[in-house]
Amino acid sequence: MEKMENYKVIGRAGEGAHGYVFEGLDLRTNRTVALKKISINPELSIPKNTIREICALRALKNKNIVKLFEVTSTGSAVVLVMEFLPCSLQEILKKIDLNLSQIKSYSKMLLKGVRFLHFNHIMHRDIKPANLLISPRRILKIADFGLARIYDGQTRQYSHQVATRWYRAPELLYSSKSYTPSIDMWSVGCIIAEMVNKTPLFPGETDIEQLAIVLSTLGTPTEENWPDLKELPDFNKISFTSGPGKPWRVILPLADTITLDLIKKIIIYDGSKRLTAQQALNHSFVIEEPKPARLQDMPDPKNYKEETPHYDPKEFDEIIAEINKI
Amino acid sequence: MFPTSSQCKYWMFSSEDELNLLREKANNKHIQLYGKGMNDPWKGDFFLTPDEEQVMVKKYEIHLRDFCKRFLPPMPRCVIGTSFHYFKRFYIKNSVMNYHPKEIMVTCIYLACKVEEFNVSIQQFVANIKGDREKAADIILNNELLLMEQLNFHLAIHNPFRPVEGLLIDIKTRGSLHDPERLRQGTEQFLERVFLTDAILLYAPSQVALAAILHAASKLQENLDSYVTDVLFGKDGKNRLAVLIDAVRAIRSMEKTADNTPDKTYIRTLEKKLEKCRNLENNPDSEIYKKKMQALLDEDDDLYNAITVQNQQKNDSALSMKVPSSP
Repeated sequence: MEKMENYKVIGRAGEGAHGYVFEGLDLRTNRTVALKKISINPELSIPKNTIREICALRALKNKNIVKLFEVTSTGSAVVLVMEFLPCSLQEILKKIDLNLSQIKSYSKMLLKGVRFLHFNHIMHRDIKPANLLISPRRILKIADFGLARIYDGQTRQYSHQVATRWYRAPELLYSSKSYTPSIDMWSVGCIIAEMVNKTPLFPGETDIEQLAIVLSTLGTPTEENWPDLKELPDFNKISFTSGPGKPWRVILPLADTITLDLIKKIIIYDGSKRLTAQQALNHSFVIEEPKPARLQDMPDPKNYKEETPHYDPKEFDEIIAEINKI
Repeated sequence: MFPTSSQCKYWMFSSEDELNLLREKANNKHIQLYGKGMNDPWKGDFFLTPDEEQVMVKKYEIHLRDFCKRFLPPMPRCVIGTSFHYFKRFYIKNSVMNYHPKEIMVTCIYLACKVEEFNVSIQQFVANIKGDREKAADIILNNELLLMEQLNFHLAIHNPFRPVEGLLIDIKTRGSLHDPERLRQGTEQFLERVFLTDAILLYAPSQVALAAILHAASKLQENLDSYVTDVLFGKDGKNRLAVLIDAVRAIRSMEKTADNTPDKTYIRTLEKKLEKCRNLENNPDSEIYKKKMQALLDEDDDLYNAITVQNQQKNDSALSMKVPSSP
C-alpha cells in the first residue's frame, strides 16, 4: 500500500466535517495533491461518509468529477489523495459577473458530470457551488461525495436530511424518503438560476423558511403539478398561505427566453417531470447562440482562490511538523 | 461497471493454484517470523499448515453464512456476498494465525453492512453476537481500519445477484423457456453454495450468475443452450462462447465442492492448535494487545506507533510481498 512517506504536506487547504484538507506534494511525481485526512476515533466506527466517498469516487472516472488518486492511511486516520483544486464556483460567483456564454459553459460541464454520475447509478445529494471546483485548466469538477449514494431500481428508503438547504429539492423539505436522482437536477437548476441572476434563487434561513420561499415563488402546489405531495411525511405538518406564485420573468429578470425555458423545466415540483441531465444537455440553452464559452475564455481560478486563512506561522509550522511526523 | 472496477483490476485471480500459492506465502511468512529458533518438526507441530489454514477459513465461511442468515433485522443478500468477498480477500494475504478468522469475519460483515447501505448501529449489530457484546464491539471497531487497509480500500463489490436479475429478464423477453421464474429457487441455492468456493475470486459476477441459472435449468430438466448460443451471444459472439462455456463448466464443478466441509473433531483439534499459535499482538485477550489499545485510547501515539511499527516491520520484512498499491 502507498504510504504517507510519499507525500509532504505543504499547507492547509480547508476543513471538512470529519477532518482537515491539506495541500500536499507527491514526492515521486512532484504533483500537487489534496490530502483529505479523516481521523478515526478508535471508539467509534469509521464514518459512513468516508466510505461513501471512497466507493463513489473510485467508481467515477470522468473529466467533470474530481479525481481520487489513491486512498491510504496513517496512524488512525484515512487519507484520500485527490486532485488539488483550491477554487470553487462559490468563490468565482462571489467575485465576478459571468457572461451568458460562461454560464452556459459551467452549466454544460456541471450537467455532463451529473449525467455521468446518474448513468452510474449514483446520486450526489449535495450539489452546491462550494462543491463545484474549478481546475487550473478551468474545467468544472463535482467534488465532495460524502453524501453520495448508489441507487437501484428497488424502492429504498433514503435519509431526507441531505443537501444544503438552498439547493434542497422541495420533496426533501417535506421529508420524502423515496426520492430519485432528480433531486440533483433541482440543485443544478438552482445553480444555473443563481449564475444568471447573480444571487441565490431560494435563500432560506431555516428549513421552514426554505419551503415558504419555494412555495411563494412557484405558487402553492396542486394535485396536478405535484401528484405525490399528499403522500409526503410532513405534508400535513405545515401549511402555508396559498398563492399563485410569481411569473418566471419576475423571478429571474436577467434571464433570456431560452435560459428561462430551461430553468422552468428543471425547477418544478414533480421530480418525475424535471429534465434529466441528458435532456438538459439537449436543450437549446446549450446548443444555440451564444454558445458555451471556450475554456480559454473562462475565468482563471488562480485569480479567485479563497484567501488562505491566516495562521500564526509558528503554529502552522507545528501543525505541518505534526502531520509530516506521521 | 465491472470491467472498470477495482474488483476486476485487482481482485480477480487466474487460477486456484495462484490463490493457493499466495496463501502458502502468507502462511510461510508467518511461520518464518514467529518460528524463529524452532526446529522444523517443532514448527510443524506448533503452526498450522496452509491446508489447515484453509480448513479454518472454510469453517468460518460457513459460520459467516449462518450468522448472516440469522441476522436481525434480516440483511439483503448483497451484504452477505460482499462480506464473503472481504473475508476471502483478507485471507489471501494474511495468515489465520496472525488475525483470528472469528474476529475478521464479524468485522467483514460489519463493514459490508455499511458499504451496502444496510444501516445498523454497532449496538444493533453486536446484539446478534452471543457472548460478550461489548468486547465484540471493541474488536470490530479496532479491526475496521485494518480490514480496509488490507482490502486496499477497494470496498465496492460486484455481486452476481444483479446479473441474475438481468438474465432472468432477458430470458423472459428473448428466450423461449416456459415460466423462467421457476429458475429462481435453483439459482439462489447455487449462489449460496458458490460463495463457499474460490469461484467468486476467479470468475466475473455475470459468469457466476449464468452458471447459476444454467444449473437451475438443468435441475428442472430444461435446456437453455440455444438461448446462450443464439440469443445471448448471437452471430458475432461465437469465438467468445468457448471461453464462457469453460468458465461455466469450471464454476459448476467448483460449486460441487462447496459441501466438502471438514470433520468436526478435526476442526476442534485445529481450533485448539490455533489458540496456541495465534499472534498474541492481535489477540484481544493478550497483555500486549491491551497495552496497545490503551495507548490508542490515551492518544499516546508514540507508544502506539512504537508497538505497531515494530509489528509492521516484522510483517513487511518477512512478507517481501507488498500489498499492491491502490489506483
